Amino acid sequence: MKERDSTTLRRPARRRVLQQGAALGAAALAAPYVLRSAHAQSNADIAPYTQAKVNWRQAEGAEIAVAVIPASYFDNLIALGSQFEALTGVRVRFEKVPPGQIRQKAMLDLSSRTATYATSATDPMYYPLYVSNKWIDPLDTYLRDSALTDAAWFNHDDIFKAWRDADSYEGKPYAVPYDGEVTVQVYRKDLYDAKGLKAADTLDDFLKNAAAINDPGNRVYGLALRGFAGAGQNMYIYPSLFKEFGGNWFSGKKVVVNSPEAVRALDWYVDAETKYAPPAVRNWNWPDIADAFSQGTLGCYIDAHSSASVLVNPEKSKVIGKIGFARWPKGPGGKRVTSIWNWGFPINAALSEKQKKATWLFITWAASAETQARTSWKFAGPAKRTGLNRVSLWKSPDFVAMTKDIGPNFVEAALTSLEQDTDVDWRPRVPQWPAIGDTMATAIQAALVGQKKSKEALDEAQARIDQILKG
Amino acid sequence: MVRDQHQPGSHNVFPAVINTRSSRKSVSDRAFALLLFLPALVTLIVTTSAPLVYLAWTSAMRIDLSMPWRSGFAGVDNYVKMGADPRFWNSLWLTLVYTASTVVLQVTLGLSLALLVLRIPRGQAALRIAAILPLVLAPVVVGLFWRTLVLSPDVGLVDVVTRALGLGSHNWLGDPQLALISVIAIHTWQWTPFAFLVILASLSSLPPDVFEAARIDRANAWQRFRHITLPLIRPALVIVVIMRTMIALSAFAAIFAATGGGPGTATEILNLYAYRTSFSELNLGYGASLAVVLLAITLAVSLVMFRVRRAR
Amino acid sequence: MPRRVRTLILVALAALLLAVWAFPVLWALLTSFKTERDVLAYPPTLIFEPTLRNYRDVLFGSASLLPNLASSIIVAGVSTLATLLLAIPAAYALARLEFPGRRVSGFYILATQMLPPVGLIIPYYLVLQKAGALDTYWGLIVIYLTFSLPFAIWLMVSYFEDVPREMEEAALLDRAGRVRALWYVILPQVRGGIAVTTIFVFLNAWNEFLFAVVLGGNRVRPVTVAMFNFISVEQTLWAKLAAGAMLAMAPVILLGLLAQRHIVKGLTVGAVKGARR
Repeated sequence: MKERDSTTLRRPARRRVLQQGAALGAAALAAPYVLRSAHAQSNADIAPYTQAKVNWRQAEGAEIAVAVIPASYFDNLIALGSQFEALTGVRVRFEKVPPGQIRQKAMLDLSSRTATYATSATDPMYYPLYVSNKWIDPLDTYLRDSALTDAAWFNHDDIFKAWRDADSYEGKPYAVPYDGEVTVQVYRKDLYDAKGLKAADTLDDFLKNAAAINDPGNRVYGLALRGFAGAGQNMYIYPSLFKEFGGNWFSGKKVVVNSPEAVRALDWYVDAETKYAPPAVRNWNWPDIADAFSQGTLGCYIDAHSSASVLVNPEKSKVIGKIGFARWPKGPGGKRVTSIWNWGFPINAALSEKQKKATWLFITWAASAETQARTSWKFAGPAKRTGLNRVSLWKSPDFVAMTKDIGPNFVEAALTSLEQDTDVDWRPRVPQWPAIGDTMATAIQAALVGQKKSKEALDEAQARIDQILKG
Repeated sequence: MVRDQHQPGSHNVFPAVINTRSSRKSVSDRAFALLLFLPALVTLIVTTSAPLVYLAWTSAMRIDLSMPWRSGFAGVDNYVKMGADPRFWNSLWLTLVYTASTVVLQVTLGLSLALLVLRIPRGQAALRIAAILPLVLAPVVVGLFWRTLVLSPDVGLVDVVTRALGLGSHNWLGDPQLALISVIAIHTWQWTPFAFLVILASLSSLPPDVFEAARIDRANAWQRFRHITLPLIRPALVIVVIMRTMIALSAFAAIFAATGGGPGTATEILNLYAYRTSFSELNLGYGASLAVVLLAITLAVSLVMFRVRRAR
Repeated sequence: MPRRVRTLILVALAALLLAVWAFPVLWALLTSFKTERDVLAYPPTLIFEPTLRNYRDVLFGSASLLPNLASSIIVAGVSTLATLLLAIPAAYALARLEFPGRRVSGFYILATQMLPPVGLIIPYYLVLQKAGALDTYWGLIVIYLTFSLPFAIWLMVSYFEDVPREMEEAALLDRAGRVRALWYVILPQVRGGIAVTTIFVFLNAWNEFLFAVVLGGNRVRPVTVAMFNFISVEQTLWAKLAAGAMLAMAPVILLGLLAQRHIVKGLTVGAVKGARR
């Protein structure tokens, strides 16, 4: 008995498939034209740039490749890429690398001196590593060279000092910050008002607020902090706690991670998450927290200020208009410590002279006040950047107007945090950071999931770090 | 029509050749054979010898990108260090557990399901099609989907089911013990269909008359299975075991996407440990030596399995 | 146990299986038609207002996956073709002919299949860079050959082994020449095996992620890599990601369905030895 072949398409069905395939093929041919026109952000007015007493065309004809991660703040810059080409005659090729792979790919290029990427969006904790290997050029010479930089126009000091410090090592700047963030409290103003609560001023207040809001039966949790294991995830929140509890990463030249302050900070972290956070938080990174908050299931969280863009997205969020912002709560020592995270652009040391000049022109263009504005409130698309790199821009009326609907205190909280709460030694700035960050992330997670007690986890981390540093 | 002259199970990997020619023609024979064989061999030699040499050389060096001032020749130091490294032994143990459980599960499940499916009057085609779906998914996508859609606490599929059954909500990927079980489940989910399809095909081609004879002989179902069915599908089972073992030893993308080797080191099989050492900790020398050890283990296991296949 | 009850139980179990295997894919399919807001809804909804927006964005938006699908097709297609052209003759030689160094080179081929990808990334990166082949099609295809060739040879050897000797000897004695014997007589015998090998080699190449990320770039960007653009650091666009995944899977599932018969047949031939008398 021959089995009826279930895979043979009957004729009419086959014809339909072919027709649809042809239609799709035609659409595919048309697609590039659609894409190109979407990209031509036609505000090609270069007057604000030509004001600078710099010959923008001194590297004309060069070609550079820039690696970035998929993120709206880079997408906006990529959309303006044609303006840079029109201004300088330098061809820029952007490559979007998944965030989990960009460091590795950049390091592969830098360490083998293949000069594939002229610059890439760089994690500030990696500069000590890059500098020890002499993979990137110090930028002080570029900043001082009047042929390359019009100091008055570029106004390097206008960029947030915290970020400039984060992008420097041993006194010299190695990258220019392009986009950054601060960690702030984000809370449900309506829920707080209903219970007569105010944004927490101290860590104890923070827990008290969470306890008041916490209502797991109705799927509302008091707080959430990143739990996902990773140097840029749970090891992004913990250092603030560590510093607020008075911890110090160094004892002389030695890296110490299991001091009594460290244990206390980790205990607080574990306690807070166990009592008042959704159980899934141990796997959550900040997009997950922002999603949960936007669905109304969180009372408060501490994370990047730029997460606000998710919260005010009318397509997803249910809490628009109900959000409040505040600085980090104070620790027992009265300190507030926020992150100094920023994406900066360094210069690959393996480039040719002409390419280095072209790269520097790119960097100054991207970090200039005009471009920052054009990727923010002047941008024609829906996503407008909030992580601008200059104090003057944050204080400008355009920026304030753009952000006024996000929530009360948004600009004040973020700006004050940036100006007063930053600590450049917020995480240990050593070349071995990648391994140390990874080890600490593992230890924190072990404590968070209850696998080990805080002290035990940190002691183990210390042993492994000692081994790493000994080599 | 008689087709097969081989004795059951007597397969060499390299069987004896046809020898029907006189020695006068054997030179052109060899030339022809080499003409067929060399392009592939040369390609492989070109593409694999450089990495092999690089791997071996790097494993004998100290190359730590985060401490470039310490680089230099290390000889066998990396290997000595490995012996004293508890994280290495942990990863070895996990590799063993992971490989053994996934292979055993795949074969057992595949076999039981194949036996089951043969009894069903209709719907075999639908099952075969459903079975293909996991096989064609990219492992990295499988890991990602399971992490987010299936295993996330609260909203994930598994959690919804366990809560409905009253078993409560758990952190399937965050709890160290559960995490290992979860990644084993993911791998088994994706690859059991392979075992299922191979064994099903093997079972459906078995001659029915043998079973008739057994039934007349009053052998019960279990005896029929053990003494007739099992030996007849043994070659299929062996192939499945060999291939699945090799895949399990080099499994990377799915676990990496699902847990990254965590929580902590709870799912850090040797493959992942080597990756993390090379690319997260930037200790390239040690990472290379771990990769060499993994290669040696895989080779050893495969050789053993091929001997088993050849013996009998 | 009465026959009907037993059949019912079996059918129920089979349905469970179907669900377990098909469900994640079906769930992803459902998700791809949801709006981002519906994706986050709790409890997860089966009934919602479907939208084609995700597919529109993924196919024609600024992050269109069409160029990446083309990339995938080129890389996977060409490397599969190259693999078959090299592997089939080599497997025949290994299975049936004698030549110097046969055993040793045969073992070498087996061994190269065991190379851990982790250890290969860096050397491949360096070699390709020196050859100027980073982010090029031929660079990536040559690297893919490294893992598909041994696999294909190994598979085809077992299929060639199954060809009955008398058939081969008869063809060879026929003075028609070895090549014609190979082409007209022997190859048709292993048709099923070739189909199986083609499918699995294509599948492996299509689904490759790590090497594609590291050794590719802007020009050569298969769909497995491009999908991750929907997982930005700011938010994960689940619905779009699901749509992207569906697109990435579609060609392969199509291929698998069309050849599903051959897979089963092909897998049988290589596996069932001595079962027939």
